[in-house]
Amino acid sequence: MVNYIIRRVLYMIVTVFFISIIAFILINLPPGSALDAQIQRLRQQGGDISMQQINDLKERYGLNDPVYVQYLKWIGGAIHGDFGQSFTYNAPVGELIWSRIAVSVILSLFALIFAWVVAIPVGVYSATHRYTVPDYIVTVIQFVGIAIPEFLLALLLLVFAATVLHMDAGGLNSQQFQNAPWSWAKLMDTIKHIWIPVIVIGAGSTAWLTRVMRANLLDVLNYQYVQTARAKGLKENVVIWKHAVRNALHPLIMSLGTALPTLISGEVIVSIVLNIPSDGPLFLASLQTKDMYLAITFVLLQSVLLVVGNLLADFLLAWADPRVRLE
Amino acid sequence: MAAARGVAAEDVKRAKKKDIGQTSQWTLMRRRFMQNKLSVTGVIGLAIMYFLVLFAPFFAPYAPDDQDSNNQFQAPTSIKLANGHFAVCPMVQKLNTSNFTWTYKPDCNKSEPIQFFAPGFSYSILGILHSNIHLFQVKPPTKIYIFGADDLGRDVLSRILYGGRVSMTIGLVGVTISTVMGAVLGTTSGYFGGAIDNVMQRVIELLLSIPTLSLFMAIAAALPQDMSVIKRYFLISIIISIIGWTGLARQVRGKVLSYSQQDYTAAAKLAGAGHMRIILTHLVPNSLSHIIVVAILAVPAQILAETSLSFIGLGMLPPAVSWGVLLAAAQQVQVVEQHVWLLVPAAFVIITVTLYMFLGDGLRDAVDPYS
Amino acid sequence: MAETIPSAQSTEIRPTGEDNVIEVLDLHVHFFTTLGVVRALNGVTFKIPRGRVLGVVGESGSGKSVTGFSIMQLVQHPGKIVKGQILLKARKDDQPINILKYDRHSQQMRNIRGNEVGMIFQEPMTSLNPSYTVGNQIQEAILLHQTPDKDEAWRRTVDILRRVGMPNPERIARSYPHELSGGMRQRAMIAMALSCTPSLLIADEPTTALDVTTEAQILDLMRELQKDIGMSIMFITHNMGVVAQMCDEVVVMYLGRIVERASVEEIFYDPKHPYTVALLRSIPRIGLSKGEKLEVIKGGVPDSYSTVTGCPFHPRCPNFMPGICDKVMPAETPIEGNPHHTVRCHLYPGSAAEAEVETSGLAPGTAPAAS
Repeated sequence: MVNYIIRRVLYMIVTVFFISIIAFILINLPPGSALDAQIQRLRQQGGDISMQQINDLKERYGLNDPVYVQYLKWIGGAIHGDFGQSFTYNAPVGELIWSRIAVSVILSLFALIFAWVVAIPVGVYSATHRYTVPDYIVTVIQFVGIAIPEFLLALLLLVFAATVLHMDAGGLNSQQFQNAPWSWAKLMDTIKHIWIPVIVIGAGSTAWLTRVMRANLLDVLNYQYVQTARAKGLKENVVIWKHAVRNALHPLIMSLGTALPTLISGEVIVSIVLNIPSDGPLFLASLQTKDMYLAITFVLLQSVLLVVGNLLADFLLAWADPRVRLE
Repeated sequence: MAAARGVAAEDVKRAKKKDIGQTSQWTLMRRRFMQNKLSVTGVIGLAIMYFLVLFAPFFAPYAPDDQDSNNQFQAPTSIKLANGHFAVCPMVQKLNTSNFTWTYKPDCNKSEPIQFFAPGFSYSILGILHSNIHLFQVKPPTKIYIFGADDLGRDVLSRILYGGRVSMTIGLVGVTISTVMGAVLGTTSGYFGGAIDNVMQRVIELLLSIPTLSLFMAIAAALPQDMSVIKRYFLISIIISIIGWTGLARQVRGKVLSYSQQDYTAAAKLAGAGHMRIILTHLVPNSLSHIIVVAILAVPAQILAETSLSFIGLGMLPPAVSWGVLLAAAQQVQVVEQHVWLLVPAAFVIITVTLYMFLGDGLRDAVDPYS
Repeated sequence: MAETIPSAQSTEIRPTGEDNVIEVLDLHVHFFTTLGVVRALNGVTFKIPRGRVLGVVGESGSGKSVTGFSIMQLVQHPGKIVKGQILLKARKDDQPINILKYDRHSQQMRNIRGNEVGMIFQEPMTSLNPSYTVGNQIQEAILLHQTPDKDEAWRRTVDILRRVGMPNPERIARSYPHELSGGMRQRAMIAMALSCTPSLLIADEPTTALDVTTEAQILDLMRELQKDIGMSIMFITHNMGVVAQMCDEVVVMYLGRIVERASVEEIFYDPKHPYTVALLRSIPRIGLSKGEKLEVIKGGVPDSYSTVTGCPFHPRCPNFMPGICDKVMPAETPIEGNPHHTVRCHLYPGSAAEAEVETSGLAPGTAPAAS
């Protein structure tokens, strides 16, 4: 077991390392950088900027080095938590990013919990009441739920909130709290707002998980051990929840790994639409302004989240399924 | 009794075979598919949708880039019955002096009849069909806006039909590329196994550990903004397929792996068949139906990917028209609040994706009823 | 069909007053499938005296398993018990109760399952839940029916595991099913079924999936435990060899009906029904000279939806008598001079008493969930 964990963690580090290279190359691909934009701005403001000054700036940001040196410098710093300098914000990337990543993690986590808490009972109900009207309704909602992209759902919700409820569903806080320091009141205000993005981000996963849960349970219900449990004289509820659902969860846990990228993607785009101070809007802005180090750091940290999430999912599976534990 | 049981089983098998007759695997699949109402709905619905977008110029009353400053944010036209004809009421434009926005009021005193199969702007379809006949037209200066008009007075319906040409095909191009990549790499990986398989699996795992949308966004942002529409279309479909192939490759690999352990593959090997022959005559035909299903099921995700990218301004860009581009106009809540019809393209996205899922689900059940 | 049977059997439908653990009277089970009604059981009547082992023999699809599941009221959807009585007399001095009066989900029915009637299944590989330890699963039944005390329940769990011949029962109790061999799992299943000392054990082909050596061990064990505990066993099997080893009495089933009942000696030395005779002839046996072909029963069990009139066995019967066998359903008749040996065949006098002309419709047959 210890061996297995060490191997997995090592593998994880290698993966993240490769991803950092890919991300770095990608983001260095487009011609021009945020620095050019900044130079442009400086020119407009203060007239002339000499080649000397430009060179100084480039030197300061390390843009005169060959790409691989730039990368090595950056990754060397990143290991120590120094992700370089943002050109547009003129501040260390680390300072800009942590609070936003935290919001992202919280949103994704809540969305995941929401999806599971809703999907499991609904899927179980749907499977145990197959071919009844509620089952058909659930099936249709699932299809539509998967067909609506997250950003559209966010948009529809915004419009609905604005036209019918006359409220602003965007953001994570009311106006008066937006720039206020954290306090009890702000926390309550956040809780009041956070459920909207959580539901929107989790909706697609919920629909999908419900479908998987229903199919799995129908499968498991055909196993002999379910009849064994019934033959013991257990209540139908115990048979379903203790004996059948427990085993139907394994594929669900296994699918966590594939569900995470979707979840993170959904979180990014929903945050952009709902204007939530998470990684989404800033990542988009950094791509648009070609704020290199900022963009790379986002991709890198998202990958780290993914890889760690996958690792946790594997551990969870080993904990849940005794057959996996041995291998 | 073992013997009796064996005989009975044999007989049952024979009886069943007779029952079905000598129907081929494909006939059986088609039969199972046709029994599923949802999948048939999917096929018919998609056929209609593709027909509509192919003949978009015929169904669209106006050209997609036909601007009209007199009809900015015009609401959907109401159609009424006058003198036994369908007719529209011309709009009277008024400037609201308190907030300087245009307001429109229908003036039904002089209704304008809708003319069917009437001449309008000229067009060509696929470069072979030249015409200027449209399904319906009204006499200028009156205009007909079934789904309203956008900020520049362009007809939303026409733009949706033209946009469908991009949105409904960009996924197909992407899926085709990823299917070919996935099938080739998956087959290789599953058939040869060993080191090749190992490397391939690690690469796939690596690609799967990158947050999809962020990768799309990063790549899309790297594309120059001043690229031609066609070039951008193909580049974006390639971007979308970059991740798409991994999932398919995994599935194909699994199938091929199980087939390559079957006795008939071993028999072919012993008979001296080459790798190419075994792959082409034994493995590919067997996994073909499976590959098709997986490919169809992958289309919705790719349509949604294009829509999402274009929506946040990193995919297709104006002047190109796609559903994502149209929805990008609906990004501001304040705008949508006033002009809800800007969300109509969303309905088309949802309908198309749902139809594809019906189709894919039905196909999967037809091909592999026990999975 | 069977539900219109008049006199002959109606006299049987009352408790006999003997000490029978279970009396099944005129049991009818139908499966309501989308393709039509499948009549899995058509008036099955039998009893199991206290402390005796009844063998239920027949091919796949004869309704053996459905009979077993009916006693537990666990016939799976879309199957339904449509008619009949099942009288349970758990203790010697109890009054027999008709358990079909109880709803299948009722508390009373759950008290019977696992407590008064235990059941073991064909597939030891899948009949234990892979997610819980063997001990946990046995303890669950004990906690439910015997004692609320967890420590006491665990002690009894280890005891019963020791009793079914498990080496190191403490360790086995803490093992997961996948850590045990097939024979060990079947022992664990037997332990679970016996943990509450039931008065009846339903064994549904418990050794079919095991190898011959393990089979012999399990059968010895069951025989030994049956004597110790004094319970009755309903032993469902298609293996005549196992019947000879295990059973006191035998009923032979064909297409949802009992075609012959007798003591085990009579079944082997004086079989009456052509089907029983054929079943016995198809056993490979020592002394069969080389080159001599093992007999098989010609034809197969008709499929569930086809129509057979008259005696359901007539299409395969070597003694087929045209005009009677394909027209009239034979009644169950005692053999002359032995009221305990009955047969349902026109070869024996009295069989046509039940002059029932078969009407069209679906024949009795197998059920999807059966066996």
